[in-house]
Amino acid sequence: MRRLMVLASTLLFIVSACGGSAPGAAPGGGDTGVKVPSKETTPAGKIVFWHAMSGVNGDAVARIVKDFNASQSKITVEAIFQGTYDDALTKLNTALTSNSGPALMQVFDIGQRFMVDSGEVVQMQGFIDRDKFDTSDFEPAVLNYYKVQDKLYSMPFNSSSAILYYNKEAFKEVGLDPEKAPATFDDVLAYAKKLTKKDAGGATVRYGFGPSIYGWLFEQWLAVSGGYFADNGNGRDAKATKVMFNDEKGKAILDWWKAGFDAGAFYNPGVDNDGAANAFNAGKTAMYVESTARLRGHINSTQGKFTVGTGRYPKPANAPADGGNIIGGASVYIMSGRPAEEQQAAWEFVKFITSPAVQAQWQSDTGYYPVRKAAYNEGPSKEWATKYPQFLTAVDQIRTAPQNRKTNGAVLGVFAEARRRIQTAIESVLLGKSSTQQALDSAATDMNAAIEKYNKTTK
Amino acid sequence: MSAVGARTLGSARGGAKVARRGRLPLRPIGVYALLVLASVLVAFPLLLALSYSFMSEAQITSYPPPILPAGLRLDNYDRVFNTIPIGRYLLNSFVVSGLVVAGQLVTSSLAAFAFAFLAFRGRDLLFFVFLSTLMIPWEATIIPNYMTIRDLGWIDTYQALAVPFMATAFGTFLLRQSFLQIPLQLRDAAVIDGASSFQFFSQVILPLSRPALSTVAVYGFLSTWNQYFWPLLVTNQTLMRTTQVGIVQLRFEETLRWGFVMAGVIMVAAPTLALLVLGQRQLVRGLTAGAVKG
Amino acid sequence: MKSVAVPARGGQPCARGAAGDSIAVVVMAWTPRERRSFGTALLYLAPSLLLFTAFVFVPLGRTIYLSLFFTTPTGRLSVFAGLDQYTELFTSTVFRSGLLATTLFVLYAVPVGIAIALILGVLANQRIRGINIFRTLLSSTIAVSAAVGSLIWLLLFNPSLGLLNFVLSRLGLPGPNWLNETGLAIVSLSIATIWLMLGFNLIVLLAGLQGVPEELYEAARMDGAGGLLLFRRITVPLMGPFLFFLLVVDTIQLLQAFTQVHVLTRGGPVDSTRTLVYSIYLDAFQNFQFGFASAQALVLFLIVLALTVIQFTVIERRIHYQ
Repeated sequence: MRRLMVLASTLLFIVSACGGSAPGAAPGGGDTGVKVPSKETTPAGKIVFWHAMSGVNGDAVARIVKDFNASQSKITVEAIFQGTYDDALTKLNTALTSNSGPALMQVFDIGQRFMVDSGEVVQMQGFIDRDKFDTSDFEPAVLNYYKVQDKLYSMPFNSSSAILYYNKEAFKEVGLDPEKAPATFDDVLAYAKKLTKKDAGGATVRYGFGPSIYGWLFEQWLAVSGGYFADNGNGRDAKATKVMFNDEKGKAILDWWKAGFDAGAFYNPGVDNDGAANAFNAGKTAMYVESTARLRGHINSTQGKFTVGTGRYPKPANAPADGGNIIGGASVYIMSGRPAEEQQAAWEFVKFITSPAVQAQWQSDTGYYPVRKAAYNEGPSKEWATKYPQFLTAVDQIRTAPQNRKTNGAVLGVFAEARRRIQTAIESVLLGKSSTQQALDSAATDMNAAIEKYNKTTK
Repeated sequence: MSAVGARTLGSARGGAKVARRGRLPLRPIGVYALLVLASVLVAFPLLLALSYSFMSEAQITSYPPPILPAGLRLDNYDRVFNTIPIGRYLLNSFVVSGLVVAGQLVTSSLAAFAFAFLAFRGRDLLFFVFLSTLMIPWEATIIPNYMTIRDLGWIDTYQALAVPFMATAFGTFLLRQSFLQIPLQLRDAAVIDGASSFQFFSQVILPLSRPALSTVAVYGFLSTWNQYFWPLLVTNQTLMRTTQVGIVQLRFEETLRWGFVMAGVIMVAAPTLALLVLGQRQLVRGLTAGAVKG
Repeated sequence: MKSVAVPARGGQPCARGAAGDSIAVVVMAWTPRERRSFGTALLYLAPSLLLFTAFVFVPLGRTIYLSLFFTTPTGRLSVFAGLDQYTELFTSTVFRSGLLATTLFVLYAVPVGIAIALILGVLANQRIRGINIFRTLLSSTIAVSAAVGSLIWLLLFNPSLGLLNFVLSRLGLPGPNWLNETGLAIVSLSIATIWLMLGFNLIVLLAGLQGVPEELYEAARMDGAGGLLLFRRITVPLMGPFLFFLLVVDTIQLLQAFTQVHVLTRGGPVDSTRTLVYSIYLDAFQNFQFGFASAQALVLFLIVLALTVIQFTVIERRIHYQ
């Protein structure tokens, strides 16, 4: 009884005196002793796969999973859509320490460092070495992107490249050659001015160019300009300690973007990539840049309205030879928190989704290009290439890019945050809140602080 | 959130009953015209959603933007049924809201009974402790609560969605006010009958307080049904999502297919709109006493 | 139900300590009768108290505690930060623009929302045929969840497909980019929110309007006062307590609004709609900085606490207007 009385009268005391959990040990970085299950492990009967593919690409994932489940009787894969790449990663973080995570997780390109540092993944390299899985015909650019200190932590699954989309009918309308896409920043600006159309009241009914404020596009432009995103070889030689995007190369990108926007020739769909795609489909913009992964969606949505043209990603006129596009997309990770049987089953599924036949199907369903070359010999891929020859230009763009630290892209623990921060910087430039240099410098200051904090807490 | 305000409103309304109800005198025809206009404007977004849910993608992207569908096309509803487990989402929302309502009725009626009928030391202090929970926004404690649920292994469970909301200071307050209206003679009669306090509570007080209990129930149901932030955090599996999380997920998953999204929106909005029509009186009473939404 | 009392690691030993005999000295001597009645009462209160302890009081304490630490990418406590995160908070431009966004949001949405509801309330308070249908229609947004409402407004605001811009273009006005212009995004957010809150505001005000005695109007009308004057001189002053109630409650609601921001703007552009609650979400669940987010959560708590205290003191003083 006495204890109960005390409990009542000291509730408020609890509030002030009671702490939470004691500081726990931070999980170690990459090479923790997470073991690959032995080859004899029986695969689990059911595994969960989280992904971030929406729209027609989501349908394509569903198709792959269905085919896998039908192709054998031992393993059933359940695919769950967890929102955008960002949201999916948030969800994963939510699930990591509870028992509700997936066995296989699709994480976007820039989530790499975070996944490695989380200490929650089984190195894909372990499975590859154990089964002598042949990766020799994988696209080198893709392998180079996903290798951290020469080891694959994840398996590349959906790879894309940023390309230019344009409306061929709009080109014809204003007397531009519909078979010739603009190649440089200056071309894009000149074309965009030509393509911009106003109504009698002076309101713009069509903008020449309408890229969304998407940090990935900036990263691509920085790489084709021959710039580094972060120090220490883009974080590949050693953990990055600061960002480097606020140099004259980064500034040139924003200056150009701002000039087009101020001229009323560039449309601003905001940070919403789908909004940018919507605007292009609706004919509100005549050109825009996005991932090849959008190709199938655009072809479906614009049928009967206009022909979609594609071109190489535009670059500054003075772009150096060592610059080039970084691959985009995502890879899949096998999570160490799940039982060995599930890991084993996940590996079976990983082998399936990277098989040439599946990759070819995936390509024609979505617009992602196959991660391995053998896929191009498969039926669906060949048909696709005949039908949409421009697509191969996008692949060439990756194949012909020099392979170096700049074009392999940055590896950064706080990359998702950096991408959002860059987006804010671009917004503030376009909306006239700050100059290009100020915006980039302020983003760099914030990100350097975030990197310092990240390195301090992960060791 | 607003127990004090609730009391204020209660007394204001009570006092008003003495006087004849007052109205600002306005011309009837003008009033009708204005009412129709206002109602159309307020209901317009919902009507538009309904209209879009019947449209094809081609019609939606045509210019000028259409207002009425070309016909009663049910393809979008069909697709909602076939591509997302909307029935399961609705079931989850019903189960969770039902659990919260049941929990809140039990905990708040018990507590309100103690505050209204039992004399004990520290009653005022404890009542203050209850009320103080109204001053702590859920978002201020959401991180530790999320960690608690995670560490308990409750992610993707009904208890994660329901248990944290099973006690309600607002409901306790409302029921206490209602209990205090019950004449003390009843209590004396019960004591003479030799009823224990619990029998008195369960056999006399509860049956007499049905209106107030239903107000707490409707209010608890609606606010749980409409939750988004918390279910978003603590559910990962498709099958554990509530309607609100499921519907917003649709926005990201099917972003270029607006007809489809609107069909989902209509299906999710329908149950609460029905509740508005059916339980309007309880709802109005509960909400006038101070509501929380969002 | 029994597991409810066991919060995450650390919570349990703490609860035990608090109930331990060592603190009992603070309690004055109780008579056996007092103890008995207290024990009975506590049986009734226990379910609520346990839940409040586990999900309100202890978590509030943990929020304070967390705000003193840096956390790892997976949300585990890592390095003791002391008050560093508070220093960072109050020198951060992002936080300052977040406070500005929150303030603007409240300033735009609350007064306008209440004013519209008051005008509609006066209309809907007429004693005419079919008025109940109008009342139901006008208050229908009470049954619309923030998620559903935000999705519909997302469509309305869409610059390529949305009707708003089409209507404006017909009126010869340029259609703005509702959700992608810094000054405008918070206005658009407010418009959607005003619509969402309308049902609730209207219901509360109708309850109040029905309490205004008719004699007052009649007397004033005999003195020759017109409709507008009556509205200003009688309706508004008599509705004072209700309007004030809504002012505080709506403000607290808006301070906690998450869904609209998440669906419509995600905090942008240039952090112009990064309200306090959304900032907590971004820092905790997107940037994985639980400690830093906790510091912001405490700021939110203090603001709501202050508002509630104001509500207590002011409203209590103004109850007896009749």
